[in-house]
Amino acid sequence: MHAAALVFVYGSITALATGLGALPFAFMGRVSPRAVAAANAIASGLMLGASFGLVAEGTRYGGWQTIIGATIGVVFILATQHVLGRYDIEFGKARGAGARRMVLMVVVMTVHSFSEGVAVGVSFAGGAALAVVITAAIAVHNIPEGLAISAVLRPRGVSVAGCAAWSVFSSLPQPIMAVPAFLFVEAFAPALPYGIGFAAGAMVFMVFVELLPEAYEDARKPEVALLVSVTLVGMVLFQQYL
Amino acid sequence: MDPTLAVLVYASLAAGAAALGAVPLVGRDDLPVTAIGWANALAAGLMLGAGYVLMKAGFDWPAAYGAAGALVGITFVYWSHAASGTKDLDLNRLHETRAEYGYQVLLVNAIHSAPEGVAIGIAMALSDSLGIFMALAIAVHNIPEATVLSAILTSRGVRLRSAAGLAVITNVSQVLLAVFTFAIVSAAPAVLPWALGFAVGALVYLVMAELLPECYRQAGHTTIALVTIVAMGFVVLAGVGVR
Repeated sequence: MHAAALVFVYGSITALATGLGALPFAFMGRVSPRAVAAANAIASGLMLGASFGLVAEGTRYGGWQTIIGATIGVVFILATQHVLGRYDIEFGKARGAGARRMVLMVVVMTVHSFSEGVAVGVSFAGGAALAVVITAAIAVHNIPEGLAISAVLRPRGVSVAGCAAWSVFSSLPQPIMAVPAFLFVEAFAPALPYGIGFAAGAMVFMVFVELLPEAYEDARKPEVALLVSVTLVGMVLFQQYL
Repeated sequence: MDPTLAVLVYASLAAGAAALGAVPLVGRDDLPVTAIGWANALAAGLMLGAGYVLMKAGFDWPAAYGAAGALVGITFVYWSHAASGTKDLDLNRLHETRAEYGYQVLLVNAIHSAPEGVAIGIAMALSDSLGIFMALAIAVHNIPEATVLSAILTSRGVRLRSAAGLAVITNVSQVLLAVFTFAIVSAAPAVLPWALGFAVGALVYLVMAELLPECYRQAGHTTIALVTIVAMGFVVLAGVGVR
């Protein structure tokens, strides 16, 4: 198989793995407002932990580039919020503010996958021998991202299969971006810290502006704090061993 | 300078910076509630940034030790809140008339300062530059935190000068734990990754349990999120070259 096709296949495997994040929700029954708040807190911890890891990686290439990328990420969320605010949105059974939050979550996680795709492609170009290891690492790393998306979608009435589908969808930019990044690595490599910064900035801002305020509304402070801090630590630990 | 003395000096300067938090209240009785929200968000962002820089320094050690330490740190703060009956306390109530409320807020602030001290002590043990960076980050963090505390105290009739003094005193635990942590880690370097994880876990928990919950009610979500992420980004960027 052509090397580029191989990168695409591996990238698709990592995208499919994201769908596994919906699995835990197959074993959960009716969802109370407090469970929504808890799910928001867990998604917050996962996304903050992932961002901590991303920023640590991005600043190795360049601190300013990462921060500039993060600033663009924040502006992107503000712009998306502004656009979504002008339409009456429906997402499955949800409408209004809940539906907007769901759309925003899918958008954030999808755009953040673009830079992950670039990272996959660039690292594949570094040496094909490591390809399987990198793929396995990214695939496993995607599962909690699917968990974060499902944590926002599932309590608002999306089916488990739907959660899995949207999770996979959010990772589709990975195979799509990995191929050009692999073929034109010299052109893409300098953009990597900007992309990583963008992904981290967008996810952290999403946590602060949407997920945490909603979590505090329906759950007690110590519950939210415990869930966020423990999942954050778990996510960082998880990334360090991959 | 003797290294332990240096830790004492830097941690004391960081604690003393809390007095500056009273400055916005000079010549006025009250702060608008949005200003309290901004101060909380600023303190939260600075603290998360400090936690991130410390966590990154810990990547040189096996992550499992750090994570285990972090769980101990989280448990420590959770338990101290629960045991002192301040777990669900609204920390930003102006003009609250209950007598015990003032003491509860002072207690929470004193507990809050302890992990900050561990953070300074552990950073000092890692390197001078990281130690000074951490002391500076915590010092700046202490200012908006003290602004909120001073606003609560003055609304209860405490004189501004006394409020500033009390803000510094609640940070004494920070100085003591900075020196203590530095001494322990210097004597037993094996403790280092645990203590580092302890500080990171506790700082993140404090942000989520004390600083962020109140401020979403005090100012708009977008404003709070922007202030928090800008403060955090500033610390992250400043900490890039520090090791």
